Amino acid sequence: MKEVSLNTPILKEQVLNLDVGDVVYITGVVYAARDMAHLRIRKLLRDKESLPEDFNGGVIFHAGPAVKKVDDEWKILVIGPTTSTRMEPYAEMVGQLGVRAIVGKGGMGESTIQSLTKYGGVYLLAAPGCGVVHAEAVKRVLRVHWLEELGVPEAIWVLEVNGWGPLVVGMDSHGGSIFKDIAQKATILKDQWFNVGGG
Amino acid sequence: MSILTDDKQFLKDRIPSLLRERCYTTISPDVMHLMKKAYAEETSSSAKEMLKTQIKNVEMAENQKKPVCQSPGFATVYIRHGKGVNIDDLADVLKKEIVNATKDGFLRPSMVHPLTRKNTGDNSGVGIPNIELEYAPALSFMEVIISFKGCGAELGNAMKIFTPAQIGEGAKGIKEFVIDTAIQAGGKPCPPFALGIGIGGQMDVAAKLSRRAVSVRRWTDHNPDPELASMEQELLGMLNQLGIGPGGIGGKTTALAVKIGMSHTHTAVCPVAVNFHCWVARRAGMRIYPDGRIQYLFDEEVS
Repeated sequence: MKEVSLNTPILKEQVLNLDVGDVVYITGVVYAARDMAHLRIRKLLRDKESLPEDFNGGVIFHAGPAVKKVDDEWKILVIGPTTSTRMEPYAEMVGQLGVRAIVGKGGMGESTIQSLTKYGGVYLLAAPGCGVVHAEAVKRVLRVHWLEELGVPEAIWVLEVNGWGPLVVGMDSHGGSIFKDIAQKATILKDQWFNVGGG
Repeated sequence: MSILTDDKQFLKDRIPSLLRERCYTTISPDVMHLMKKAYAEETSSSAKEMLKTQIKNVEMAENQKKPVCQSPGFATVYIRHGKGVNIDDLADVLKKEIVNATKDGFLRPSMVHPLTRKNTGDNSGVGIPNIELEYAPALSFMEVIISFKGCGAELGNAMKIFTPAQIGEGAKGIKEFVIDTAIQAGGKPCPPFALGIGIGGQMDVAAKLSRRAVSVRRWTDHNPDPELASMEQELLGMLNQLGIGPGGIGGKTTALAVKIGMSHTHTAVCPVAVNFHCWVARRAGMRIYPDGRIQYLFDEEVS
């Protein structure tokens, strides 16, 4: 297990070097984006329209902040991870965009394992329910996209973060997934308890 | 004169202050007690670190007067009252306070139309908050419990209508369903979670029982029904052997509590609803007595 600090944009080689269980700290630009933003990006790509950001080498944070406007500037009050599995249908798209790190909670599934392996990316777990702690790492809001149409939680918030972490590598680019391992072990236990397939 | 029947201003004042003092910027004291106990007992170093961060987050939210979580979840209010109690303005008071708290930055605007996904911008909306009224004629006090339950946790929820054959000996079939549901949910419901389980009635009854059990009961209490109490303890023990751990990355602290609510059902079926509650238990409750005395719920630290 190693500790690694990463600056954005993140290079593919840096990500390939990470394994499940490693701890990461991120400095640079992070895109807070969840369900509706992913859906909208997919539509724009389908219609061959331009995207509001270049996600290549980027970090997507599955999150929607609580915000406050102070003197015409957005302030992040709290921001913590939302349940990542909802973004599973976009795994291939996110890989194609060149996203190097997805940050969220709860882990993701098989499509994401494949995408991370194919394109070179990692899934990082941010402490769930810890929006105040995570907000401490946010230096400022650089931009926000689609706020009017999608509302506060679903807009894309472009954030500048400094030394954000610890974030735990939950899924790596070599097919490893801490979530899959834990579920497999738990299922073996369950089958023992309830004698599945046995007497 | 009774506060409950004659004083219209009382609830208008007390409900906002109940929420602002005890709900948005902190978690239920009984749950905080269980989190600290789990931290003391956890043996995995990464799980211990996770619990430490989670506890620290609550302390920071309290000190900085910030919402303890960016997501307000979904609000359900449980009210029990006796004869003659004036609740005419209650729904209005609750709706207004939620909108005001949103404007003041304590709740992120998160309520949307279920199909168009259009955000109302202030957490107003049809059926918001959900209000569950219970009329108990002999009750001397009025009880108000407000619970904001996170919605990542909802994604793990499951329901099944069991046949008598599927229940199994010692409810083995139901226990397996609960454990399997928890494995499928993994880290999604923000573990360490609590489980509300509704057993009986029909589908709607079991679902409401599951939400009520985990929302109105102290997570440190014991079910007064010995059979259900033992099932709660057995399931809790099993859940904490699964190795899901805080945040879902391993450890022995997976669940803080299991709360079962039951109702009799039809001889043909046994509906079971399994309902997750994240560790960020934003809830507050009070009992108001006719003389104006208030007793806060969930305060006692009983292990």
